[in-house]
Amino acid sequence: MTDTAREEILARINEALGRRGGGEYVSSTVRTTSASAAPANADDVDTTDGPAATEATAADSGYHHEGAHTGEDLVDLLIDRLVDYKANVHRASGDPGETIAELIGDHSSVVVPRGLDETWLAGFSGDVRVDSPGEELSVDELDAQGAVVTASAVAIAQTGTIVLDGSSTSGRRAITLVPDHHVCIVRTGDIVDIVPEGIARLDAHAPLTFISGPSATSDIELSRVEGVHGPRTLDVIILEA
Amino acid sequence: MTFLGMPLLRSKHAHSDLPGGQGNIVEAEAFPEASQQHLSNQQLRNNIGHATSTIRSKRAEVVSELDDWERLRDAGEATKNEVMENLPEYLAQFEAAFTAAGGIIHWARDADEANAIVTELVEDNAPVLESGRREVIKVKSMATQEIGLNEHLEAEGIDAFETDLAELIVQLGDDKPSHILVPAIHRNRDEIREIFMDKMPDAGQLTNEPAVLAEAARKHLRHKFLTTKVAISGANFGIAETGTLGVVESEGNGRMCLTLPETLITVMGIEKLLPRFADLEVFLQLLPRSSTGERMNPYTSFWTGKFEGDGPQNVHLVLLDNGRTRALADEHGRTALNCIRCSACMNVCPVYERTGGHAYGSTYPGPIGAILSPLLTGVEDEANGSLPYASSLCGACYDVCPVKINIPEILVHLRGEDVKANHSPVSSQLDAALTGASWMMSDGKRMTAAEKGLPLAHKVTGGEQINDLPGIAGAWTSSRDIPALPEKSFRQLWAEEEADGSDEKGQR
Ligand code: SF4
Repeated sequence: MTDTAREEILARINEALGRRGGGEYVSSTVRTTSASAAPANADDVDTTDGPAATEATAADSGYHHEGAHTGEDLVDLLIDRLVDYKANVHRASGDPGETIAELIGDHSSVVVPRGLDETWLAGFSGDVRVDSPGEELSVDELDAQGAVVTASAVAIAQTGTIVLDGSSTSGRRAITLVPDHHVCIVRTGDIVDIVPEGIARLDAHAPLTFISGPSATSDIELSRVEGVHGPRTLDVIILEA
Repeated sequence: MTFLGMPLLRSKHAHSDLPGGQGNIVEAEAFPEASQQHLSNQQLRNNIGHATSTIRSKRAEVVSELDDWERLRDAGEATKNEVMENLPEYLAQFEAAFTAAGGIIHWARDADEANAIVTELVEDNAPVLESGRREVIKVKSMATQEIGLNEHLEAEGIDAFETDLAELIVQLGDDKPSHILVPAIHRNRDEIREIFMDKMPDAGQLTNEPAVLAEAARKHLRHKFLTTKVAISGANFGIAETGTLGVVESEGNGRMCLTLPETLITVMGIEKLLPRFADLEVFLQLLPRSSTGERMNPYTSFWTGKFEGDGPQNVHLVLLDNGRTRALADEHGRTALNCIRCSACMNVCPVYERTGGHAYGSTYPGPIGAILSPLLTGVEDEANGSLPYASSLCGACYDVCPVKINIPEILVHLRGEDVKANHSPVSSQLDAALTGASWMMSDGKRMTAAEKGLPLAHKVTGGEQINDLPGIAGAWTSSRDIPALPEKSFRQLWAEEEADGSDEKGQR
């Protein structure tokens, strides 16, 4: 059934676009690229090199690809934006262990991804549960953790956004979702200024989560209320390293 | 007058042989009747007025922070045009990449087919509970609303739980969404409190504080998130190059649905693609600033098929046509498919602000709905034929649209199509009413009016106002004062325009 649907929808699109040949995929001119013509048949499409895979983005209309902030200005911008969206921001240099211990001191148990530097948790007297392949915490176990401590892949200063990429230091997606308190370490070297710089550093094939402040909703009279289903407390430690 | 309400002639158009969409995209009543009902609801108008003015200023503020905003809009427009022009190739590329990453793709020609596919997937993957029914959790999705999925599932013994706060408010209140971003925009905090107290037996005593209401929703849904086996989502973007899907959200209910269940079923319109992952650098700037007026929304998730040991291992995508190809066939209207559903156009629309979203009778309200719904169904669907008149053509929607869809131009184009299809040579009740009323309109000075749309035009101060009109048009005037009208009707002007413009059009 669905195969027929596929053929029919593709044929309809060709008809709609005024291409000749009914179910055949007669290529149209690719408007914004000259590098490669669109494939003659949709089934021949090479997954790694599509109609315009060689171009960075479709239309480089002259928007910014890089921001102007650097050094301490860049860090200040990130802090300003994080605070604006109700994240708590802390700074540490070298070893964030002391700051972490302070932030999670009230919890009896926390979860960390397997790649997190274990010395960072040395100052914490409660249980540290390590989530790793084959030894994943169940959802109920995660629900019983007071907090999760992770690192991050990239932070975008302009928007106050932290990106987790499912790596061994960012962790599996569930571990940063179920516990109500997320302590997230951002290394200064991972801070970029604007969105395009952030996207450029990411791998599309990883599970990506962009986080800008704690869980929030604007569904009641459009006022932003923090704290719905995601972690209601987000502590960010900016680590000079 | 014998044929009141019925078009005398239906003309056949190029491309109209492509089937139109089905589902919640057709007005049950024509816009004039529907809007009358909503115009009389003062609470609704207050709530919507408050919400849209708040969000308008938030949007304006964050947009003004970016000195390259116009260039981002240009890029957004060009990218979406590129997608539409190469849609078969990008779909095939997307399909190959998504499949290679372990996802399973299904194609659905229309709402019925999509509903059947999803039902079967749920039946295969969600257990029957003690109640004898199955359960799924859902994250807000326009596409599933468009196809009426929840109603369909319910009839098949499957309860679909909406998890967005606003959707929850709508669902618990036995209501319909009225705004694509804030579906409960028509409800204020007191009303929400009442609905929650009434429908959440465990909630206890609640105040009308937004934080308290949000907390109640968290408790209400938590267990469902942690235990439900199947989730259904929409998608904001599909990346052709990599087979990646993305959901932009605020509350974390999206993350819950996309991460914790074993099976994830996504329903996405075929027009949602972007060519490259890098295109997100434009769209992740355009969308949040245009929709919630934030620099970035709290959470955005991207997934590519399945990931070993992380998230759902049974990942499906239903690619939906349901009239999109028909819209694509209209070369003057097809850019409506470029819409990224930010809702900025409805927040600036003077008509929307007064009537609310329900009057549009479709999943897609506001200016975009006024063009998209008739494009999906075809204007021959006469109720939807009235939608292109639900505008004063003030142009505010075009100015804010992040992908620069020229909504006013498409509205005018569709009015022309409607006139050709449904009103030749003389036709509906509305026309008759207006013809009957034309003597009243003979002392015209201002040209703000356009036939059915005229009573919704901005209030004009000074000059002679018309306070009452007979018939259907009368229903409109009870809520708006109409400015005095010009000597010629829109019909006459249009006919002249058509005649004048024919040469010019021939050259295009
Ligand atoms: S038409 Fe433009 S402004 Fe309106 S919802 Fe779509 S993208 Fe947003």
